[in-house]
Amino acid sequence: MAATPASVTRRVEHPARLENLGLFLGFIDQACAEEHIDSEASFALRLAVEEVCMNLIRHGYAGLEPGPIELDFEVDAGVARLKVCDRARPFDPSQAPAPNLHDDAMHRPIGGLGWHLIKQLMDRVAYRSDAQRGNELILEKKFQRH
Amino acid sequence: MEVTVNTTDQVTVFVIRGSVDGLTAERLLAVMDEQVNGGATRLVADFSALEYTSSAGLRALLSTVKRARSLGGDLRLAAVRPQVLRVLDLSGFTSILKLYDDVPAAVSSYA
Repeated sequence: MAATPASVTRRVEHPARLENLGLFLGFIDQACAEEHIDSEASFALRLAVEEVCMNLIRHGYAGLEPGPIELDFEVDAGVARLKVCDRARPFDPSQAPAPNLHDDAMHRPIGGLGWHLIKQLMDRVAYRSDAQRGNELILEKKFQRH
Repeated sequence: MEVTVNTTDQVTVFVIRGSVDGLTAERLLAVMDEQVNGGATRLVADFSALEYTSSAGLRALLSTVKRARSLGGDLRLAAVRPQVLRVLDLSGFTSILKLYDDVPAAVSSYA
């Protein structure tokens, strides 16, 4: 059986503004559809894109002129790889505080779940930042083709 | 996302269709807040047509649960789809919210 070739890299870049969230979500939805990624993995990738973009829009670039968010997407050997590049304030996801999942509803804070969901749903999360190239987040998700 | 509101047996049911995300969660919260402001405290969210939620949707849910419970009521979920259920579970929401298989069961739970 012939090996499935690696896909081309799809790329999109838009300023980090809330009104552009739909463009980022549309990008990942279309990429997952074109690669026939299963619904569970597609859901997880869409959620990861939303959470990362919302963090950049609301926090990373807060108080700054909204800079770019660049998404690169490719698949290879049953793994979808999403790379997010930005020039916002660096934030290492390993530093994101873990939410307390055991508080009752009245004591649970509203918020703080984005990074937790990304880490739970993605198979790999890697991050690096430097002053010249900016920030780069890699997210990987195994999938099956449907 | 579409949200419609109807009332059955003095229970307010929010029927949510589509996706609740960073673009739509505020509108959902506004609709739910409006009902609570009007005195509705026994609430059900019909998730049978909810295809997707992110943490934005969870915030809207939790905010409404807190308000309803502080007024002696609640927000209960009905017919949650598997992938939305997974997000609720990963967030610890399945242990703090009441979930039912369908809307009639959720409505009856207030009896």
